[in-house]
Amino acid sequence: MPWVVAAYAVTAVVLVGYALQLRAARSAALRDQQRRS
Amino acid sequence: MVSAAVMLSVVLALVWLLWLARDVGSRIASSRWIGALALALIPVWLYLVAWYAPIEAVQGIIQKIFYVHIPAIIPTYFGFVLAAIGGALYLRTRDDRWDQLAVAGAEVGVVFCTLMLLVGPIWAKPAWGHWWVWDLRLTTTLMLWFIYVAYLFLRSFAFGSDTAKTFTAVYGIAGIAAIPFVYFAVDLAQGSTLHPSNPAREGLPPEMGRTVGVGMITFIWIFAWLVAKRLELASLQARALVASRVGGA
Repeated sequence: MPWVVAAYAVTAVVLVGYALQLRAARSAALRDQQRRS
Repeated sequence: MVSAAVMLSVVLALVWLLWLARDVGSRIASSRWIGALALALIPVWLYLVAWYAPIEAVQGIIQKIFYVHIPAIIPTYFGFVLAAIGGALYLRTRDDRWDQLAVAGAEVGVVFCTLMLLVGPIWAKPAWGHWWVWDLRLTTTLMLWFIYVAYLFLRSFAFGSDTAKTFTAVYGIAGIAAIPFVYFAVDLAQGSTLHPSNPAREGLPPEMGRTVGVGMITFIWIFAWLVAKRLELASLQARALVASRVGGA
């Protein structure tokens, strides 16, 4: 059972982590755009 | 039935991403529906994994890891094929929007390939007694991962350069030649591989097949949503680059 939990936890970390990283980069790009305009 | 739904999801996701890439700025709102679809599919998939799919007689509970490992293959291949399609369209039109689609496909493909390479060893350790073996399927998958990590490195070192865009477009098209080697690695190894054969040919029991299929559909829409978000980011960054050049001139 711990192996199964570990596999699904890794999946959640990878996918949610990547989505959060995209969100942070998007916020930074929008801030940059506002600063320039 | 489930395999037809998987194919339909791939085609619909591809058509939607090609439509979205043409005008990300005004069409990105549609990604909310795709995100909602992916989010709605996750609990269905997890329910099937936990309660619908039976516990496999030989491997026991660890076989449930297959329901995340196998579905991750489709978005991996999808992402790399998208990098080739975007690259080919960029070479034909020299339109940056297709270049952005190619990079988004490659990057999200690498995320799913990484996931597959992380989850596989978590199954292999209790099943084989080793985290990793230099088996043909595992080695070719790792090689595929390196090919597209190199693609992303190339892009990050030469942001905005037309030469880099052309080079990576050609590289992305050539890169998909590695996919058949990965897919057919188990057949090429002719019995000298530890890795199980492709599930389509194994003939899984119906409950397991349906669970794998729903997992694939769920991952396809998660993939499509992530590519959309990556495209939106690329579009914002490209606008910022243009603004900085105009401001600097």
